Amino acid sequence: MKQLVSGNDAIFQGAIRAGARYFAGYPITPSSEILQQASLYAEENPGFHFLQAEDEIAAAIATISASLAGVKSFTATSGPGFTLMQEALGWGHAVEAPCVIVNSMRVGPSTGMPTQPAQSDLFQIKGGSAGDYYPIAFYPNSVEECFRLIITAFNAAEESLSPVILLADAFLSHLNEMVDLDAIEMKVVTRTKEPLGKGHRLFTGTAHDRMGNVKTNDPVAYRDWLNDLKERHLKIADQYPLFEYIPQKGSDTLLIAFGITSRIISPLKERFSIFRPIRIYPVLEKELKDVAASYRHIIVVEGNDGQYASWVEGAIGRKVMRVACLGGGFKLQWIQSQIEERLKESR
Amino acid sequence: MDRSYKELLKLSRFPHTWCPGCGIGAVLKNVAMVMKELGWNAQNTTVVSGIGCSGRMAGYMNLDAVHTPHGRAITAAEAIKTVRPDLNVLVLSGDGDLGAIGGNHLIHTSRRNANITVFCNDNEIYGLTGGQAGPTTPKGTKTITSPRGEHYQPLRFNRLLTTQAPYFYARTTVYHLNHFKTCIREALLYKGFSFVDIISDCIELNGRRLGFKTAHQMFKWFDQRFHIVEGVRDHLKDDELGIAKREAEAEVKAEEVSMGKVEVKHEDLKTFTREELKQFDGAEGRPLYIGYKGKVYDISTSPLFQGEKRMRCHIAGKDLTKDIDIAPHGEELIFKFPMVGRLKE
Repeated sequence: MKQLVSGNDAIFQGAIRAGARYFAGYPITPSSEILQQASLYAEENPGFHFLQAEDEIAAAIATISASLAGVKSFTATSGPGFTLMQEALGWGHAVEAPCVIVNSMRVGPSTGMPTQPAQSDLFQIKGGSAGDYYPIAFYPNSVEECFRLIITAFNAAEESLSPVILLADAFLSHLNEMVDLDAIEMKVVTRTKEPLGKGHRLFTGTAHDRMGNVKTNDPVAYRDWLNDLKERHLKIADQYPLFEYIPQKGSDTLLIAFGITSRIISPLKERFSIFRPIRIYPVLEKELKDVAASYRHIIVVEGNDGQYASWVEGAIGRKVMRVACLGGGFKLQWIQSQIEERLKESR
Repeated sequence: MDRSYKELLKLSRFPHTWCPGCGIGAVLKNVAMVMKELGWNAQNTTVVSGIGCSGRMAGYMNLDAVHTPHGRAITAAEAIKTVRPDLNVLVLSGDGDLGAIGGNHLIHTSRRNANITVFCNDNEIYGLTGGQAGPTTPKGTKTITSPRGEHYQPLRFNRLLTTQAPYFYARTTVYHLNHFKTCIREALLYKGFSFVDIISDCIELNGRRLGFKTAHQMFKWFDQRFHIVEGVRDHLKDDELGIAKREAEAEVKAEEVSMGKVEVKHEDLKTFTREELKQFDGAEGRPLYIGYKGKVYDISTSPLFQGEKRMRCHIAGKDLTKDIDIAPHGEELIFKFPMVGRLKE
């Protein structure tokens, strides 16, 4: 039966469908509803464990540790909390722990505008922790997709053995739509990693070889290990080349937008072609290249100052134009006037 | 001598990374020995470590081990124990990891009474990074980051961890071996959050600067600084070795305290005679005191006694214990005001 469901509700229920058995979190707008739902669910379901941690550092560490201990786990936060989780994100990649981190973005930097939506944590997916790592991140744009993509995120996490990030924004988290979640059928990948208490393994953030032996002075062992990791992550990411492409015949302009901005600019599909990446990271290089080849103008519309645009430029090897919706200002009229301005400048 | 504890150690990884004379080896060995006695093994136990010299202990244990980022060992252990109650979970780490960068987690995991055991190799220094002052470095100690002597008082785990029950805190040293093993055993068998503060030595990066020639001289120094106390106590003094344990907080409901039903100790409260009390009548800027059931309350802030509208001002400075029956309110109104003294009969 169709029901009014919010983005945060759909994310939580999707996680339960995916088999999540542990949630640790810390209250932060606009992701707190997920924490609240988890606390109630844990009271009613003894098999599900919940921790309201003392900070996001602990929440993320507990999520990864619970995963190592043998259950599917996840946490939810927003920009400033995600900043605190960066340490654990790097550790999660080093110890190869499958789990999901939900980041419902709000305006930053720092505390920023807690109730206003933004899309400004893209660089935080990849650049916040020390060293090289290859995270996978998805970004839905509807309540139904929140449900589908958190399950996809859990699946990708189990396959890649790494923390996978599900992005949302303040708008999407609190967006209510009519959906029948029970009718949605999704494949669920079961757990493959052996739980703790099964051997003599060491899960360490210190550099180690494939066997888990600490190797702090061995460039060859490090390269082998990192290349394995990279190869595996990119391979799994390739299984989820998710995007939406709405071509408009006769248009020489391609708009690139994702998450809530793609919803807001959808009326513009009458005039422009629209490309919406769903897998935000690793960047959809091949797909972007193929699509971009047939357009003269490319405009990236996003809720930050050109983070995804710079990735697109890196992927397709040419300059793109940018429309930055900053400070929570996502108004179609304004975006439209900005697009006209960019097009005028380039002609 | 029974050497079967060695199967709990990854001997293939030996020789270990620690300096000759370091106390961490003794911690690792004795914990392994007690674990062996208790039948803890790779199937039912997980060890978690943080960062630092002592954080390397998990890597030398021959069972599934988790080596967390700096300071996060306790949180990781709590999460593992939550989802896997069948596993014995213990933390092997150091004072800097647990007390400084992980201090917040120590406070809150102990508050939540997670059923884990924490062994803290407390050598009063950051050893791995070269001998910087740590949270437990005693005041006045010279280190490479306190060249004129440490400025601040050290963090005392015994005081931090025994503020609210239930708690289990043991302090021992690597020198007092029998006592050390007793503390390990008691802590491992304790149901709930147990913390063993193991006074240990770092001869290379702390001891030599303090003037010690050998690790053994440092052990002798421990013997001078600390003495063992028998039995289980509520609290340990800063120079005592032993076990401080309390199962449950004395059940005092907050509302009962505020309603005056529970006698709160106010040793430092002033004593008033009835004559003295009369002086505090609220006139000419003096405070307004009343007596009630042997206590003196300051009701100056009551809106009924402000400015021109002083209602029934005659009650000021009196003992109102008997008047409560004719008052339009109950005694709870009086308890809302600050208690400032005792009434001398």
